[in-house]
Amino acid sequence: MKQGILTLSELTKFIELLKTSYKVFAPVKKEEGVFFEEVNSADDIALGYYNSKLPPKRLFLPQCEVLCTFENGQLVEIPIADEKCAIFGMRPCDALALSRIDMVFDKEDLKDPYYLARRKNTVLLSLVCDKPLDTCFCTSVGGGPSSGDGSDIRMVHLGNRLLLEALTEKGESLISSAKQFLKKPKQSDLEEKEKIVAESEKKVPRIKVDGIKENLEKGFNLPLWSAIAERCLGCGVCTYLCPTCYCFDITDEVKGEKGKRIRTWDSCQYPLFTLHASGHNPRPSKTERMRQRIMHKFFYAVENFGRTFCVGCGRCVRSCPVNLDLRESIELITGNKACVSTRK
Amino acid sequence: MEGIETKIRETAKALFSEKKIDILIGHEKGSLVFHSRPVMIRDANDTERLVWNSFCTNNLAVYLPRFFEPKKPKKGEVPPPLPRVAVIAKGCDARSIIGLVRERQVPRQNLIIIGVPCEGMIDKSKLEKLLEGDFIASGSIKDGGTSITGFSGKRLDIKKEQVLLDACIECAFPVVEDADIAIAGTSRKPATEKYKTAKSFSEKSPAERWRYFAQEISKCIRCYACRQVCPNCYCKECFVEQTNPRWVSAGDDLSEKMVFHIGRVFHQAGRCVECDACVRACPVGIDIRTFTQKVAQDVKEMFDYCPGFSPEVSPPLCAYRLDDRQEFITEP
Amino acid sequence: MGAEEQTVTSQKVTAQSKNKTDGWKPKVVAFLCNWCSYAGADLAGVSRIQYRPNVRVIRVPCSGRINPLYIVKALQEGVDGVLVSGCHPGDCHYISGNLFARRKFAILKNYLTYLGIEPERVQFSWVSASEGTRFAMLIEKVISDIEKLGPAQKLVKEVSR
Repeated sequence: MKQGILTLSELTKFIELLKTSYKVFAPVKKEEGVFFEEVNSADDIALGYYNSKLPPKRLFLPQCEVLCTFENGQLVEIPIADEKCAIFGMRPCDALALSRIDMVFDKEDLKDPYYLARRKNTVLLSLVCDKPLDTCFCTSVGGGPSSGDGSDIRMVHLGNRLLLEALTEKGESLISSAKQFLKKPKQSDLEEKEKIVAESEKKVPRIKVDGIKENLEKGFNLPLWSAIAERCLGCGVCTYLCPTCYCFDITDEVKGEKGKRIRTWDSCQYPLFTLHASGHNPRPSKTERMRQRIMHKFFYAVENFGRTFCVGCGRCVRSCPVNLDLRESIELITGNKACVSTRK
Repeated sequence: MEGIETKIRETAKALFSEKKIDILIGHEKGSLVFHSRPVMIRDANDTERLVWNSFCTNNLAVYLPRFFEPKKPKKGEVPPPLPRVAVIAKGCDARSIIGLVRERQVPRQNLIIIGVPCEGMIDKSKLEKLLEGDFIASGSIKDGGTSITGFSGKRLDIKKEQVLLDACIECAFPVVEDADIAIAGTSRKPATEKYKTAKSFSEKSPAERWRYFAQEISKCIRCYACRQVCPNCYCKECFVEQTNPRWVSAGDDLSEKMVFHIGRVFHQAGRCVECDACVRACPVGIDIRTFTQKVAQDVKEMFDYCPGFSPEVSPPLCAYRLDDRQEFITEP
Repeated sequence: MGAEEQTVTSQKVTAQSKNKTDGWKPKVVAFLCNWCSYAGADLAGVSRIQYRPNVRVIRVPCSGRINPLYIVKALQEGVDGVLVSGCHPGDCHYISGNLFARRKFAILKNYLTYLGIEPERVQFSWVSASEGTRFAMLIEKVISDIEKLGPAQKLVKEVSR
């Protein structure tokens, strides 16, 4: 079964069904914002949210993850996650971001077992955006409010019901298992969905990214980098909130004879990131680090993987303490002085 | 507010045309609604970018140490002269600047502090809380009131006093005392009741306090934004990054996060001016204020010291009195 | 899945699994300044004054040498209590080390208490080189204070999965 209509009154039972086989994560409203957390019932879900404060990538690439434990010089355990999880209501930009990170962690010759186990054991139900923010720009970077990349099921909120569409085999089998709660979608449902998606796509602000890769290729030594990075504080919030950033650090934590090796998030915006043991730092100031960030996302990634590693979620723009706007930086580079287009 | 903005621009222009400064650090219009952001001006023509409004919350003192880092000149060369920097300073910014002067990070003679009368800054997170999760799509301010419209279309009219930053409501020093140029205007009146947050927290039971501390710190994602925005955190190697000895590991154990925060707050003892830049920078909304204020209160009550004034006075932890309090000493 | 929430409950569960209350003996770390307090402890030993053995002594040149983070780290490593002892004010071998220390400890003690850590877990005192008996009484007092509180649970770090 590939499609289904779930009325919101049945959502509770749907979540209960999911909980029998999966740990269910969904957007939960808290005082500081919306966060992806395990939910016990559909009542906890904030269906009408914009986007979560922290990207749901932390459910696949946790902020701190144990790679192995050891005792008395012997390896004790390599914990590979085997819990089945369902993420209900992720935004398409975040799902697209996961498909970007897949390109790094799931290569032909190099596969990350920890991340891939989580990906394999998770079913993603993404929720189409019907109200983009003024900081969104997914349509300019290869995404969109209804993009299905990276998700197993795409959901659209149509008033009092959700339209579910399976995009992968995993999604199909989930929809089939829940068919008792799902009705066959009517033609009017599908038309309403098209209408919502089209309106949403019009609402997403656009930025001019044409020619960014070429300009970046030529622009390594441009003086504009110091202008862009001047007020940056190197706080790293942009990288921590970015759904496509994946850099990590590996350290050991030892107490007596017992210990564990952990992988934690790291940020290219920290000076220690490229500090050599000799004391030399090839990226000594914020200028080089900011340049590296933009180059990585819009040039190196395109060269290596054929895709931009920015999904236009706007979290970095919204959370930067000094309002360093990635969109402005991009437009400075592409040479366009025009302002970011606003919502109509 | 607008009068002050014009005066700031005129002052800046004059300083450049009289060749008295090389750089001016101020605020400019941000790219999002209700945002202002720091700007570095190097030319008289750019002074039109300067703004002054209720969103100029950034503590600009954080940018100063980087201009005065000692540079090792090549052999035979003379080191370049240190720049002359002007800073648009609110009360809290100025106290941070004096703190940096005291700690010899910044030479006072190279600074021009432009003191601006501050009536308090608006807390955007309070505005968003009033919108109940909605974000601000547009808004305007006039006559002590703020009107905001969320993306959902919901509109609210609020009094500015309701949504000021806690740091501003409890601010005891809104007037810049050591300004080289003082822009005329009315400031907030200093708060009469100091350390309200810390005092009310102290009244809770120890179990409640621990529970709150653990709950807040568990949100931490170790991004170190709090440390980076703080003007006082200018150490080349922070204690959390030292590997020899390893004070704090990188893991997300609650205990590690607590040690980081306890350590950072303790390192601010006698230095923190309660500007709350750390609170605003935190991406997960940790209530850092409740913790930093306690140490500031203790320093004031025990050693009668308030950071941010008189750079020639020794900081409290570099001084002692023979009659310092010692009621906490255990007598067997 | 690994996205465990770091809440107070997870901390409590860890502590409970330790089950220290069965045959638990308090572990107290004492930072003693070399010139006065350590000498006082020595004197207690030489005079054969009995005191509880549940204390581990770390000798430092001066109480002013103590970085407050040592105390916090000790609590993190699982000790049940920390004692810092130095020369009486005015008698410091380095003239003023203990006077600076007094200020640091005042702030640290207040701050840890404010966060909810039991005040008896971190204690400071002055013991001079001639006060052997006093040192023994101090240890007895500190250990009995800690015994009443039970094993340390707050701030303790477990290196386990």
